[in-house]
Amino acid sequence: MKNRKKSLANWGNSFLFLGPTTIFFAITVLIPFVYGVYLTLNKMDTPTDPMVFSGLLNYVNAVQDTQFWSSLWLTIKFVIATVFLVNLVGFGLAYLVTSGIKIQNSMRTAYFTPNLIGGLLLGYIWQFVFVQTLPAFGEKFGIEWLKLGWLGDPHMSFWALVLVTIWQTSGYMMIIFIAGLISIPKDLIEAATIDGAGPFRRLVSVTLPLMVPSFVVTIFLSLKNAFMVYDLNFSLTKGGPYNSTEMVSMHVVNKAFVQANYGTGQAEAIILFIIVAVVTGIQVYSSKKMEVEA
Amino acid sequence: MGKMNKTVGLIKKSAMLGIVTALTFSLAACGGSSSKSATNSNSPVKIIVTNSKGEIDAQFKQAAKDFMKVNPKINVEVDTQAVGDTLGVYDKLTASGKTVTLAMFDPYAALHKYKDVGIDLSNDKWNAETNDALKNSDGKVIGFPFAVEGMGLVYNQKVLDKAVGGTFDPYSINTQDKLKDLLNKIKASGVKYPVAYQTEAWSVGNHYSSLFLDQESDPNTILDKLKSGSLDLTQNAAWNGYYDTLNLLTSKDYNKFGDRPLGQYYDAAHVAVGKGDSAILFNGDWAFDSLHAIAGDTFGFMPVPVDNNPDNALNNKIAVGPTQVFVINKKATKAEQAAAKKFLNWLVYDKTGQDFVVNKGQIISAFKNNPNKVNNPLGIAISNAIAKGATMPFSTNYINAGDWPTTIGPDVQKYIAKQESRAQLAKVFEDYYKSHQE
Repeated sequence: MKNRKKSLANWGNSFLFLGPTTIFFAITVLIPFVYGVYLTLNKMDTPTDPMVFSGLLNYVNAVQDTQFWSSLWLTIKFVIATVFLVNLVGFGLAYLVTSGIKIQNSMRTAYFTPNLIGGLLLGYIWQFVFVQTLPAFGEKFGIEWLKLGWLGDPHMSFWALVLVTIWQTSGYMMIIFIAGLISIPKDLIEAATIDGAGPFRRLVSVTLPLMVPSFVVTIFLSLKNAFMVYDLNFSLTKGGPYNSTEMVSMHVVNKAFVQANYGTGQAEAIILFIIVAVVTGIQVYSSKKMEVEA
Repeated sequence: MGKMNKTVGLIKKSAMLGIVTALTFSLAACGGSSSKSATNSNSPVKIIVTNSKGEIDAQFKQAAKDFMKVNPKINVEVDTQAVGDTLGVYDKLTASGKTVTLAMFDPYAALHKYKDVGIDLSNDKWNAETNDALKNSDGKVIGFPFAVEGMGLVYNQKVLDKAVGGTFDPYSINTQDKLKDLLNKIKASGVKYPVAYQTEAWSVGNHYSSLFLDQESDPNTILDKLKSGSLDLTQNAAWNGYYDTLNLLTSKDYNKFGDRPLGQYYDAAHVAVGKGDSAILFNGDWAFDSLHAIAGDTFGFMPVPVDNNPDNALNNKIAVGPTQVFVINKKATKAEQAAAKKFLNWLVYDKTGQDFVVNKGQIISAFKNNPNKVNNPLGIAISNAIAKGATMPFSTNYINAGDWPTTIGPDVQKYIAKQESRAQLAKVFEDYYKSHQE
């Protein structure tokens, strides 16, 4: 009987269960990715052009594309701002709605709701807020810096993007933090309290170290989201004014499809992939090391 | 043991079967479209028509049905480009192995990217009814003008009538001084900001910044000079004139958004002019819906003046031309090409076809024999300008409208935001043409 069980677990069986997933993963991710790398070795203006082998020319063009690097630098600033603020706000909200206040369940729902609105739609809604609502407010109450639309100034447009990203994603991160917070053993907190630790000391010395696994996930997600931001960028600022808020994903799309330089755009996408893979890889590896056990 | 082996074998087999089935389906999906169905003289000819005007998708499909009713031997499939899709519907269909019979392109794409697609339409009957057929560099007609559009300074008639005290004549504003004078009059009549111009990259780039090409009757003359590097834009009167006028249009004194001219103001600007809070903006006839105008209000176009010479043609004309043309694919079969020609003739000569283009699609027809007029007051203004002879080529057709919103446009925006000087802007233009010789 044992033998029979063993033979059941042979490759055919695992293939039955893993096969379809593997095939679809290959069709939708692996094969397009490998093919995408192959495409960068060809000179193509549009995805439908005949392929002409051109070696590493596309990569040379990508490296020489100053706009690509400046949009990447802008994206990095965006990443730093959003990763820090999204996690700060997300953790703050989670701390608030697990602290035992009365309406905490409805607050959880309320904070999570923005995440249910798609990025594109969100951009258009907030465009209205930044262009019409806030200036109208400024006009009415005589607040000088609110009187002009935010999206006409490079710095304010950038912070508009950051603000909307926080509003959209911190609710999602909150859910992950809540899961982490409620799984912290109560006895540890009690023990710390008995030892005379105040609320702040408990947060810093007990709660936060135990929350590292949650932070690994949320920082990874917010890093990835921030590097790949496109929908919000497109609908809120369209990269304007004068391309000053053109994030790297948008630059890649514009390069490939709008400026009809598909090969170079594809090469830039691969470079972006490598950068994001390395950054998130380092992040996950190094923060895993910080995890402690209760 | 034997029984078990059988079961395992069955599982293996079913797994293999699943894989094979999945692969077969995906292969079939790839292969199916490329195989041509055998042509039979009795079976209907199927033609694929692409439509780049997403806003008339429903009307276009209805027109195809109406056409098929009178031509039962022809089956028309309409594929519409989704609004905002970066990959053309023609490219998509072609990449998936289909042959588009009748493709709608913008004229620049028809003459550049798709220059090898079309067949010669020079001897088609409809050429007699239009001046806007698209010719290639050899002088052969390759494009059927489907839609005509125009651009200039859009104005609100009611506000301007009040400002000038009488019926405002758009062609009376034929110098920069007269424009400035008009703006002051509008202010005096109680309108705080006479202009509400949104200065988006595509508008100040593709549209406004291409107008200077019209200083020669053939815009290619200027383009050739730019490409050969023999034109110094800082010394070019018309080019400078347009930016002098742009300074006026975006100044703090006159523009609603003058304090911070860039931003996402498209809707705000159009509603302001539509409701009469402002009077003037720069755009084309397609802007009418965005104006959200009160029914019955009139709007029109006036030329953009570039200097103080009232006889300068640029000061007296608005840019009008075909913005979408139909090209018949030379790769289509003879029967399909004939069917496509039949469809084009139907659009020009048949009452239902004429009705579709103008009344249903609200497109300004390029054909003199089409008796219909669009409802859009801006469209009527274009038709009137055509009748009056006050039109110059639609300069945007002579630039690469695909990349200007991300190349030239942002630099014009920098100029407006005073982040870049006139001389720097001129250099951007000159450098652009040095590296874009096509």
